[in-house]
Order: sequence, then C-alpha cells, then structure tokens
Amino acid sequence: MRQTKDDAELDDFGRFSEPALLILVSLAEEPRHGYSMTEDIEAIAGVRLGPGTLYGALARLEARGLIEALKSEDRRNPYRLTTLGERALRARLDSMMAVARTGQRRLANA
Amino acid sequence: MNWLLQLYPARWRDRYGEEFGAVLASQRASVGLVLDVLGGAIDAHLYPQIQHSHSKPIKEEDTMTLLMLQRCSAGGPKLSPRDQRIASLVMIFSGLVMASLYIGLTKIYHSAPAVQALFYASFPALALIYGETAYLRKRPWLTQVFILGGGLSGLYLFMLAVCVIASKL
Repeated sequence: MRQTKDDAELDDFGRFSEPALLILVSLAEEPRHGYSMTEDIEAIAGVRLGPGTLYGALARLEARGLIEALKSEDRRNPYRLTTLGERALRARLDSMMAVARTGQRRLANA
Repeated sequence: MNWLLQLYPARWRDRYGEEFGAVLASQRASVGLVLDVLGGAIDAHLYPQIQHSHSKPIKEEDTMTLLMLQRCSAGGPKLSPRDQRIASLVMIFSGLVMASLYIGLTKIYHSAPAVQALFYASFPALALIYGETAYLRKRPWLTQVFILGGGLSGLYLFMLAVCVIASKL
C-alpha cells in the first residue's frame, strides 16, 4: 500500500494494527468507552476484541496522540479521535480504497 | 476474572485498570479471554506505552500544549528507519569530508590551532550532524542550514578558542 505522511502514524503497531484501525473507525462516529467500542466493532466488522487486545491498541493510539481520553464521572473513560487521528484514519482508508479499487478492476479484467 | 489485572504493570493499572476491569467483567470467561489478557499483560511489560502517554484524561489546555510541542519538535523523537538511515549516511559522508580536510590542512599548516580545533570539533560535530539531520530533515532548508551551520560554527569556534589558549600556555 502506498503510504502518506499521515498514514505512517499507524505504522509499528504490529499485531495491534487491525484492532487500532477498527478502534479509529469506531471513534470516527462519536466518543466511546471501551465496552461500547467492542460492541460497535463487533457490529461493523464481526470481530469481538478481547480486553487485552483492545487496551494494547488503545494505549498505542493514545501514546501517539491519535486518540484522547475524555473526563468521565464513572470508571468507564470515553475516548475521542484527535485531529491527528482523524488525518491518519482518512489517509489509511484512502490508501486501502485505492488498493481495493485496483484489485476490483484487475479482477474485472481477469 | 479481575485478578488477571494483577499481571499488568502497576503504572498501566493506574491508568487503564478501572476501565479495563469494566470491559473484562462484561465478557464471558473463556480460555480465549484468559489468553488475550495474558498476551496483553506480556505486551504491556515488553512495550510499556504508558510512559509516553498521559496519566490523566486530557484537558483542553493540555491538548494545546501537546500540539505546540509537536510543532516545535518536528515530530518528536520518533524516527523512522528511513530517517535513521539517511542521518547515518550523512554522518558517514561528513566524517569522510572532515577527515580528508584535516589530513589536507595538516600537510599545509601542520599543527596550527585552527587545524587542531577541526580535529577536536569533528567528534561532537558528527553527533550534531546526525541528530540535526534526523530531526530537522522535514524542516525548511533555511532552518536546517541556520541551525546546523550555527551549531557547527559555534562548536568550531569554541574548540578554536580552547586550542588557541592551550597553545599559549
């Protein structure tokens, strides 16, 4: 996949790459807390993230400034996408779409 | 199941423990869940993201400070392998240029303070060149020239002053 500067923010996530992308997609709609994210991700991608995977990815995203925690009265901290996170998500989705379009076109010509 | 939280580092638990516990409690106990939490605990020990992260929820003014810091530090200390390779190549090339220059000048001016200063300045200069090439690479070229040129000139002048004083003693 061709990378842009914004897209590179999602590099070095290792096995947390896919969960991190799913979290960003989930937060693109509205701020959510951990449980709400797992429910939403299961609904959109059919994958139920375990808490170990979810928080491994969340910690990485937060450390890179792609998401941020909001204040909360109860123990469930909601998170929201930062401007940097939104840019990184857009860039990654754009490059994924470009690959998907190329794949579809080639399959159609095969 | 909350006992599994004890497997995580203390700092990690301080930051994520409560909300992690809430998510953990909402899931049905299974071998897969235990393995997932174990994997997460190992990862949290091996790659403690928490030290780079915020220990408290971000406030508006914190976000502004963070954005300003990110602007000032040209992306911060996170270097891509490509940045590191380029900085290393520039450093090696600069080392060769400085060594050739030193050998050439020694043949002509022997051990004049200006030549000795070049020798002593070359070691810290290489570290400066590496650091500044790596971190300033994405900055405008004028900024790079100004900061790198200024740093190297300052370093050379300092070494020259030391060598001149030493030659008079």
